[in-house]
Parts: sequence; C-alpha cells; structure tokens
Amino acid sequence: MFLAIAKGLSITFKHVFPGNSTTVQYPAVKLTPSDRFRGLHRLVPEQDREKCVACYLCPTVCPAKCITVESAENEKGEKYPKVYTIDLLRCIFCGYCVEACPVEAIEMTDAYELANFNREDFEFTKERLLK
Amino acid sequence: MVNLTIDGKQITVPKNATIYEAARDNGIHIPVLCYAKKLLPYGACRICLVEVEQMKGRLIPSCTTPVTEGMVVTTTSEEIVKVRKTVLEFLLVNHVIDCPVCDKGGECDLQDLTYEYEVVTNRFEGEKFDLPTDEVNPLIERNMNRCVLCGKCVRVCDEVVGYGSYSFINRGFETKIATAFDRGLHCEFCGQCVSMCPVGALLPRPFKFKARPWQLNEVDTVCGYCGNGCTVTLGILDKKVETIRFNDKIGVNDGNLCIRGRFGYSYVNSDDRLTKPLVRKGNQLVETEWDEALQVVADGLKKAQDGKGAGILSGARLTNEEMFLLKNLAKTLGTGNLDHSGGECYKGVTEGLLETLGVQASTGTFPQIENTDVVLAIRNDFYDTHPVVGMVINQAVRRNNAQLLVVSGKGGKLSKLPRAKTLLSGPGLELDVLNGLCQVLLEEGLAKTDGLEGLVALKQSLAEFTADKVATKTGVDADALREAARQLAGAGNAAIMLAYGLPYTPLSKELAVAAANLSLLTGIAGREGSGIYLCGEKANSQGAIDLGLLPAADGLGAQAMLDAAAGGKLDALYVVGEDPVASFPDRDKVEKALEQVPFLVVQDLFLSSTAAKANVVLPAASFAEKDGTFTNAERRIQRVRAGVPSPGEAKTDGEIIAALDAQLGGSLAFTGPEAIFAEIGKDVPAYAVNYTEIGPQGVVWGGEILQPVARKLGEAVAAPMVEGAYRLVTGSALHHSGTTSTHAKGPLAVVPEPFVEMSRADAATLGVKEGDLVKVAGNGVELKLKAKVDLRMPQGVLFAPYHFKESGVNRMFKTESVISVTISK
Repeated sequence: MFLAIAKGLSITFKHVFPGNSTTVQYPAVKLTPSDRFRGLHRLVPEQDREKCVACYLCPTVCPAKCITVESAENEKGEKYPKVYTIDLLRCIFCGYCVEACPVEAIEMTDAYELANFNREDFEFTKERLLK
Repeated sequence: MVNLTIDGKQITVPKNATIYEAARDNGIHIPVLCYAKKLLPYGACRICLVEVEQMKGRLIPSCTTPVTEGMVVTTTSEEIVKVRKTVLEFLLVNHVIDCPVCDKGGECDLQDLTYEYEVVTNRFEGEKFDLPTDEVNPLIERNMNRCVLCGKCVRVCDEVVGYGSYSFINRGFETKIATAFDRGLHCEFCGQCVSMCPVGALLPRPFKFKARPWQLNEVDTVCGYCGNGCTVTLGILDKKVETIRFNDKIGVNDGNLCIRGRFGYSYVNSDDRLTKPLVRKGNQLVETEWDEALQVVADGLKKAQDGKGAGILSGARLTNEEMFLLKNLAKTLGTGNLDHSGGECYKGVTEGLLETLGVQASTGTFPQIENTDVVLAIRNDFYDTHPVVGMVINQAVRRNNAQLLVVSGKGGKLSKLPRAKTLLSGPGLELDVLNGLCQVLLEEGLAKTDGLEGLVALKQSLAEFTADKVATKTGVDADALREAARQLAGAGNAAIMLAYGLPYTPLSKELAVAAANLSLLTGIAGREGSGIYLCGEKANSQGAIDLGLLPAADGLGAQAMLDAAAGGKLDALYVVGEDPVASFPDRDKVEKALEQVPFLVVQDLFLSSTAAKANVVLPAASFAEKDGTFTNAERRIQRVRAGVPSPGEAKTDGEIIAALDAQLGGSLAFTGPEAIFAEIGKDVPAYAVNYTEIGPQGVVWGGEILQPVARKLGEAVAAPMVEGAYRLVTGSALHHSGTTSTHAKGPLAVVPEPFVEMSRADAATLGVKEGDLVKVAGNGVELKLKAKVDLRMPQGVLFAPYHFKESGVNRMFKTESVISVTISK
C-alpha cells in the first residue's frame, strides 16, 4: 500500500520541478493551440474579392444565430456578401459555419485573445474578418 | 373506378388517373421532376419509374401510365433506386453544381432528389454546359446551364398561357430550351415558367440574390390588382415583400399568375409611399400628426354636410370590410352621395344585368369555363384585363377543343388561339355584332324563348340588326356571324365573357344588356356548366356592388358628384383609393371638379395627381398590409391577409375610416375584420358566412351557378359608327392594371410609358417606326405618344391604354368609346 502511495506521489512531485510544468507564464509566454483549435473566424480572401459567395448556409446552421449575411450582385454579376458580420458575444465557437461552408470561405484561426472593452468591438465586420 | 395495389396497399381511384396520381392521392411518395398537376403528363425525366407486376421486364414511368384494374405496383425496390440514382447521375453529368450561388438552392427538386438518393459520386464524366445566360429581358433570368430538360416551361407556356415562347432545339447532348431563333425571351412575362421550373434555370430577376427560400416568411393572400382573385403568396423577408410565390396546391386559379401578380408587387415597397398625413397649410401640403389630420377632415366634412353637402368616392380595391365601414361613415355623416369608381362607370353590372337577369354578378365560376364547348369573348381586351381567366379560356380551347368566338374591334391574344374565330368589327361596334347574333338566333328559330319577357320589343329593336345589315355596318362577314350564332345556340355548355372597367365606361350598360340578351336567348344564363361572366376590373369590384357601395336614392353617383363639384354644388369630396384625375374619363371635368370643391380629402398610397390637389391627404395601406376579404369576379369571397407592416404611420383604410367615423360621432365600433364581416352578413345575406371558415379556395356566394332572378330581354341601343381615316380607342394594356401598376417596377420594366398602337400598314403610310413620337389629335386635344407597331391592329384603328396619367388619354376621351383622330409625326 505504501508503495502505491509513494508511486503516486512521485508523479506529483515530478511536476513540481521545472521543465515538467503544464502551465505557462501567460501573457509573457503563450501556448500554440492545436491545429484543430476553434478561435476567431477568418474570411478567406481571393485575389479581388472574398471567397464567400453569400450562400447563407452559415447563418442558417449557426445555433447561436450570430452571423448576419446580406447578399448582393457585384459588377461582374456574381453573388457576394455585401454584409458579413459575426457577433462574437453570441458566438459559441462550435465551428458549424466552417463545416457548412460549401466553398471553404470561412475558417477558424488560433486567435483566442478576444477580450475587449467595448461592446461594438465584438462586432466583427467583413473587413475585420478578411484580415 | 379502378382497383389496384400499390406497395401492398389496396386503393381505388378514378379510371383516368395515372399511377403517380393514384399513389400521391393515397399518401405514397413517388419522386418526380417533370410532372406538374396543371400540365398534361409528359414523361421526360424518368425519375418516377416504378415496377408493375403485369409489365415485368421493364420499368414503367408512373406519371404517364394510366391505372388498370388489378394492377400491382411497387414504387421502391433495389433496382428502382439504382435506376433513379443513375438517372440523377446522368442529369448531373452536365448540370453545373453552383448551388451556393443559385437562388433555387433550398427548394430545388434536383437538389432534393440528389440528397434523397445520396448521389455523392458520379460514374459518368462529361462536359458541363457553358451557355451564356439570357439577359435581354428585365424580369426572367434564364440560365440554361442548369436546365434538366423537363419541358415544364415549354408546356406551361403552351398549354396554360398559350403564348408558346419556348421550344426544345438541337438534338442529343446539345438539346436545350430556346426561344424563337434563340434571341432571348420577349414575351408577356407572366412568369408561369419561373414558377414551374424545378431547378434554377428560370428565376425571377427582381429577386436575384435577395434571399434564400427558407428565410422567406410566406403569407397566402389575394392579388390586389384585377378581379380574377388569384391566390398570391407573399415572400416576406424582414417585413418587406421581396417576391411573389405561387401556390398551385390549394390556391385559387391553380397558382396561375400574370405579370401584374407575379412581378407587380414592388409598389408595396416603394419609397414614394405616403408615410404621414398631409394637411394643406397655405399653398403647401405639410406633414402632420394623425390626430390633427383626422380633426381637420372631420370638421371639414361636417361643415360641408351642413352646407351644400359632402360626397364620398371610393376605389374598388378596398376590402369588403372597409367598404362596409365607408358605407357606415356615409350614414354617420348623413350623406347619400356615396359611390365607388365603378358605380357610375360600370353601368354594365349595376344596371344592365340587373334589368335583364335580376342579378349583378357572373352566373358561373371560372373553372367551369374549361369544360365549355363554346366561349364567346367580347373584346380582345378581355385577355388584357383578366389574363388568368384568359388562360382558362386557352385551356378550354386547347384541352377540350372548345370553339372560341371573339367579338372585337381589334386583334389580340385571344384571336391567336387555335381555331379562334374573330368577328372583327369596326372599333366600338361590338354591340352591333352582339345584337346581330341575337337577331340571327331569333330569325333562324334557334332562340330558346320560353319564359322570356320582352321578346316582342326585342324583336322590334333588333329588326335593324339582320346579319347582312350588321355586316355592312361593322365589316363582319355575314356568314361568319350566322355560323357563330348557330354554334352558340348549339353548344352544350357555353360561356360569354365581358370585362368592364374604367376605360370601358361608354356603352358598358348596352353591352351588358346585349350580352345578357344573348345569354337568355341561348339559355346560357343559369344553365349548369355555362354562364355569363361580367368581370370587374379591380380586385374587389364585385364586392363593391354586392355591398351596395352606391348612391342612395336621393344621392349623387360618381359622375354626378363630379358634375356637382365642378358646378360649385358640392362642398366636400372624400376620395378613397382612387386617382380620378388619371383614370376617370374626361380629365378636364374631373380637374375642374377637384379644384372647385372647397374641401377635398384624398386617401391613397401615393401622392397621386388627385392627392396633389387635396386639402388633406391620408396615407393608406396596400393589399399586402391588411386583413379582410375580397370578392372576385366569379363571386368568390377570399381572405386577404396582412404580410408586412405599413410604411411609417400609414394606416389601413379600415382603421382610418373607423377613426373618422368615431370622430364624427359614429356609434359603431368593431374589433376587427371578423366582426365587421359578421355584420356584413346581416346586411347582405349572401355574405352570411363564417369568416374563419373561408378556406384557401374561398367561398362562392350563390353557389357554382347563380340562377337569374329575372329573364327579361332588354333593348341595347347601338351607337352610330364613328367615321374617320384614323380612329382611336382606349382600354387596358396587358402589363398594367388601373394606375397602381405604374408604380411597380416589374410592369414598368416591360411597358414603361404610354404608347399608341397601330398597324404596320398605317405605320408604313405615315412613315412611322416603332418608338417614334407621334402626335395624335382629336376631340380638341393633342397627345404626344410613342408609336408601337404590330400586327394585331386593323388598319385605321389606333389604341392607347389609359393607365398612365402623363399620357392624358382620358383628357381626350370624355364620353365616347371611339374618337376620330388625325395622326402625324
């Protein structure tokens, strides 16, 4: 029995020594999230426009109803999102929008530092999402 | 009846049903692409293949195979699924997969089937189409890359609309749907093909990229334009009518619509709509609050009533409930001067039919027309004023081999239908031809004269209308006239169609009497399956007549009110939902009347030319913004449902009238349309229907066949022929209805401005080309109109529609139906 306790404690003590800690000195040190991490959204740009074709699948699938899209016709007669806004205060980062997108125009980045002072700053417009 | 088994289920269906219909009616799902309820079976897509025990060895298309006794049908099996999947794979070989940008996505039959049958890979490879999209027309986008060649558009355009814009061209893989010479669409733009298309090959251009189908909130209501009363489904996004969808499952008129119904909705969203009450202060109309405006109106009307009197003139696009309230308001005010725009102008119904048949409505319903043997259409304009009934006539002609007879002063769509016989008379002489038909019936002993009153007097009055004399006067072939009369008399079932409306004011009573005479002599009136149809121009023309929105015994009618106002004998005029300056005959008189009358109140959607002269303008709501009922030209009472809120502070006519009534000390108050409708039922027995029981098909008061109360032949006095090298007539153009449609982008995109239509021969003589500005002078008025040259006009006859206020056609037409004019470049 003592042996088992000692074995367990040894694991505990191992983590006390430097090099074995899982926490980091945030914000001085930052972790790199996994590739599958679902952080801030990004609209994928193409040469002269966004890749998004305003098909309305993401606002339709969104369980938090945080995406606003308004489609329109550009000079070339193509469909494009005149308005594309994500309300991050409502977003639950489920990633359904990415999954639903038929043209891979939206992806989720590893940005997780999303705190802000103003409510308006959580409105991510098309221009901000394209960055 | 036939008994058969489908998927182990014993069912009994009529013997003319197909396997598909039998399955559908018994809740068994068979997928289809090319099938449509209102079209004939075609069998183009091969999605609906099923197995039939008795026809083993091959799969049978269920939509084209009639049922037989003892048939055993299997609708799904491994083989069937495999075949259907293969058919989809074939379709997807060259169908472009642009679902994300295709507006059909979400309600696309091909998309749904692909999902249902899990077609995720394609074993076949082929080139995708790369055809240019048709962008020459303003309303219908044609993208042939998405076409699956089901042929629905081809068939609906031919079978239902009777226009025939489309056809298949080329062979094999190159097959596509094209218009004549592949030049792009140039048709009447009813949009029927758009509503039929199972994929995104045909789409409404005004709705392009506006919304996804699943985002739209759908509200079934009644089209607010003409008296057909077609069910329209408002497609609403964010409290705005974005498109009009159709309802061919439960709607009235099979979901058929015309350009006005399908594309004429945008006036509802117009920026020009009135949003606040306006009161004239000094020389200006100033925006004000409702309380003040209503106070001013109430005071003004009261003062006028204490003086020389006040008059109320209404349009015919108010709901029955609003008309009832208006009648009530007249009572509160104590005036008998009440009329709707039709009251005086549509004498045809209010007097003509009442004198002869004792009823004031069509005697049959529209679906019956499809099964008649002979259809007599008076004036080719019938199709232009009531396009969807015109489509029913087309179906009667094409499907049931009905003989179409047209009595008209000019050619038109109806004359072009197969086997149509046009008794082409001189302009304005249709009445002579009708009298001629009656005379032939009497002369040849074909008339059914039992129990008819006034036969002797009619015989005397018709002595002048022998076939030969009519032929000499009108130019109609005498033998053709006799033949037409015999066909009418010999028909098992027949329909006589007459449209009435503001541009057809002159002779409307006489025409109705002549048509009624004909219906009595042929026995059509009140016969099962037959009927005489008097179709009102506006959405609720019939309701206005049923409710008696007419002058009291001592009151003034529409024209009399205007006369009195012009002569300074009327102190106030309250105009609701009508623009008399633009639409009533004799504009000079109307303008004088409106200028002379000391207090003018106008209630309308827009600052119309009438409203511009008003002391107070009240902003009203359109048909898409109110609840209530309309009664269409076949006596069908239908529910109108609000889909969107009114812009700004605009209120429904009902709310305004009720508020005014209260202001004037009226004692009646209602909780809503339902309560008012119940009250109407007490006044008008035919309307004693439970409001909530008015279903999608409405309620036809008086039943499918309305029996005439009287059978009295009347005398229809013909007008003398108008002589002249060029004779001008007015009327309705297909793309417009009244003056409201001139605020709607759809109709305006096709017919943007007033025109004068002439024959090619005349154009050649005058050296006029299509689009040239010509001067048309007559009756002391000169009009400048764009020339439109086509084949339908007889030589020497000109036509100018009345819808556009800037045309001034109603300045020229005072009381006459035809005017001798001179025309020059």
